[in-house]
Amino acid sequence: MSFVEVQDLVKHFRTKYGVVTAVDHVSFGIDKGELVTLLGPSGCGKTTTLRCIAGLERPDSGDVLIEGRPMFGQGFVPPSRRNIGMVFQNYAVWPHMTVAANVAYGLKIARVPRALRMQRVREVLELVGLAGLEERYPAQLSGGQQQRVALARALVRQPKVLLLDEPLSNLDAKLREKMRFEIRRIVKQLGITAVYVTHDQAEAMVLSDRIAVMESGRIVQMGSPKEIYHRPATRFVADFIGTTNILEGRVEQVNKEQGLVSVITEIGRTLCRLPNPIPVPTDTSVCLSVRPEDVEVLTHCSELQTNTYQGRVVERAYLGHLLYLFISVGGTQLRVQCHPRLQVEEGQEVYVYLDPERCVILTS
Amino acid sequence: MSRPRLFLWHRAVRSEIVLSGLVWLVILFFIVYPVAFLVLDSFRIANTGQLGFHNYKAFFSDLYYLNTFLRTCLLSGLVLLVTTALSLPLAYILARYKLRGMTFFTALTLLPIVLPAYAGAFAWVVFFGRFGTFNLLLMRWGLISKPLNLLGFPGLVLMQSLHLLPFMVLSLMAAYSSIDPALEEAAEVEGASGIRRFLTITLPLSTPSYFAGAVLVFLWPFTDWLTPLIFGVTDLLPTIAYINIAYHFTDVTRRYMGIVSVVIASLVCVGSFLLLKTWIERKRYTGLSKGTLLGGRTIRPRLAIRIISYLYVVFISMLILIIPVVLALSGFSRRWVLTPLPRYWTLENFQLIFTEAGRLVYNSFRFSGVALLMGVFFGLLMAYLLARTKAPGRAGLEFVNSLMLVFPGVAVGVAFLRAFWYGHGIPLATHWIIMPLALFVRRLPYFLRMAYAAYQQLDPSLEEAAEVAGAGKLRTFMTISIPLLLKGIFVGIIMFFIMAFQEISTAIFLYRGGWETLPIGLYLNWHRGMEFGIASAMAFLMVCVVFILLIIAARIGGGILKVAWGASGRD
Repeated sequence: MSFVEVQDLVKHFRTKYGVVTAVDHVSFGIDKGELVTLLGPSGCGKTTTLRCIAGLERPDSGDVLIEGRPMFGQGFVPPSRRNIGMVFQNYAVWPHMTVAANVAYGLKIARVPRALRMQRVREVLELVGLAGLEERYPAQLSGGQQQRVALARALVRQPKVLLLDEPLSNLDAKLREKMRFEIRRIVKQLGITAVYVTHDQAEAMVLSDRIAVMESGRIVQMGSPKEIYHRPATRFVADFIGTTNILEGRVEQVNKEQGLVSVITEIGRTLCRLPNPIPVPTDTSVCLSVRPEDVEVLTHCSELQTNTYQGRVVERAYLGHLLYLFISVGGTQLRVQCHPRLQVEEGQEVYVYLDPERCVILTS
Repeated sequence: MSRPRLFLWHRAVRSEIVLSGLVWLVILFFIVYPVAFLVLDSFRIANTGQLGFHNYKAFFSDLYYLNTFLRTCLLSGLVLLVTTALSLPLAYILARYKLRGMTFFTALTLLPIVLPAYAGAFAWVVFFGRFGTFNLLLMRWGLISKPLNLLGFPGLVLMQSLHLLPFMVLSLMAAYSSIDPALEEAAEVEGASGIRRFLTITLPLSTPSYFAGAVLVFLWPFTDWLTPLIFGVTDLLPTIAYINIAYHFTDVTRRYMGIVSVVIASLVCVGSFLLLKTWIERKRYTGLSKGTLLGGRTIRPRLAIRIISYLYVVFISMLILIIPVVLALSGFSRRWVLTPLPRYWTLENFQLIFTEAGRLVYNSFRFSGVALLMGVFFGLLMAYLLARTKAPGRAGLEFVNSLMLVFPGVAVGVAFLRAFWYGHGIPLATHWIIMPLALFVRRLPYFLRMAYAAYQQLDPSLEEAAEVAGAGKLRTFMTISIPLLLKGIFVGIIMFFIMAFQEISTAIFLYRGGWETLPIGLYLNWHRGMEFGIASAMAFLMVCVVFILLIIAARIGGGILKVAWGASGRD
């Protein structure tokens, strides 16, 4: 059993327009010390799931187990009794208290003796890089500093679980990028179990041990950042995480010995690696996903080999560290990333090669 | 930008300066001049005509007046205490609990805002008086043998608290529902539950709004002279001021003591208001968290709490509902004495009002109407200057406007009487126009607040688009701004009219034979021969007019109404 278990969670909301299912039979587990991200577009149910773990929202059915103890099933355990820490999207730093008072609040309630309390506050402020600002009021702090206060407050009681609800979404881009690494460093240093909610895929990739991608109240795929990126399970995941080329087609032939599938797509016959868990019967319609960086561009080609196609450069954008191309292959446009020193011009005839290992069959 | 002063003489800006000058002229003539006159008057030494502190020394060395001052302070303190105790839970219930029918109860508890204080006082005298319904019923059921005195000082505290309850409730509701829910959730996650969360997070965050309401409550006993008079309590600052000036004007000492009382009461009002303003500026919590949800947290409470909440809300509603019900009973009956309910029903009180006192109704509508025209004209002008221009003196305009909200009506009345009387002032008070002028000066803030609030919600780019399309400032104002502000303006007109229609504190000093308004007639009927039937009928009529107008206002712009009322005052 995992440290935190979310079991078959369901939550409906009544709105003006009728009943909306915010969370639709969501189950997953989090191991001790693991950092799991709930990732998805707005309205996918990630925040509601997190709030159910916190106890700020009560699910219609299902349960949350922390260290094996049910939080709803055997009588509702209120947030104040769950020993969790939470960082809110808008920080929720109390404006009428100093930084130190904000951080010490939970310790005071837990009746931690004054000397120990002060020590813990000092330590945690040091950890988040706010030492020396104890007596400031939140209004005298920058957004980034308020963010750190919120983090310190959530960590100071050494909670069993740390919950973070889009904590970086109100910061500017530079700071956001810096804080990603910092949050990961702190969480890992303390060995704390954490659930992180975000709609920013880059943030999720940097931070997480595992990512749960959510779409309309369900988890569509859960796995390590690498798995999610390279082996997306559905078209939604492939599209939502990074950019990709989606090719629609029909399964022509399955070669079990070589582990290859040949698919007739918009651009011709494409071979791809047979995905392990999913059986693909012949003549079913499927989608292929190929990442822009997995498309190889060749300026010359003596003969057209497997998975090599002729195309024309439609658009070309130079981004410094890479070259971004739109290449039209038989009317279908492929996004391609290649080395910035590659010599191609708009309108030029080129060849593209798709590595079968990198073409992923998606269930639609 | 090497010669920024030149910019001032740009055509558009110059017109703004002219408009602003016009408004300031009106303010100087109708507010600054009379008030200055009054203040100067209070320093005038009776026989010699020289200036000095003699009157103030006399006031504070006379035990009677000193006692009056202290008792007014005591009353203020007690009213504030009772109002706070009643409204802290009431506002919480109304703002936070998801309960059926709460919109209805909210409307009911806010009703006293527009009910004239004297209407409530009349109703209470009839119901809670020595031989009123309440005492008679208790005696009939054998609960008491002798009637209780429920009026007097304690009754006054309760009456005024009830009258002021809506201001506190509105302020607190605004506070409770503007607190970012995450702030309380964070406390919950940190382990604070229930009452602790309320005391450490919710309450401290509500203090700025609370004090905004508290100041209005605190200064009310320094402005309300009529409720104490009806309740038989005369040793209070505004009441003593009224009695001294209205009845003993020829007695020089009493006249000057009256004027000093008025000035001291005004000083308390203005002083506490200014204190609050500077304190709130320092202690502003808003604008801290971004992206908050509006409306605050709402809770669906447990059954026991639900029942207690309903009982409490119904109790308060009953206290308020007594007012119109008792006025109706008394107005539609004849010789209602010594019985819990009237014996003889009749329409003759209302017939009398329209046949013999039709002039009062006519005067009320005429004076309020003329005042309204002035109010709309200047109110719109001021709202425009405040919201859309960089005309000099804008801060001053806003300041004077909010000051007028807390300035006692008695003080305006006496100031007008002194400043516009022939012999020593500009003789305006001999013409009936003084009546609407006084109403205009006193009630302008009510219109201006609405118009200004509406203006602030209007995106300036809509007007800029018209100007870019070639319309001049005036044309833009008439074709774009006014139509889009219509809702706010309309609500402002109704609020202005309601407040002007029931005004008595200022008018009572200025009216002459033939200029009596409905509230004055009501007061005189009560005062002269205890004509309670007619007085009640008049009060009932007023309540009806006010109530109908209020429903219209709420229909049109409940939202704007709330915005503008968030923290405002009245008398």
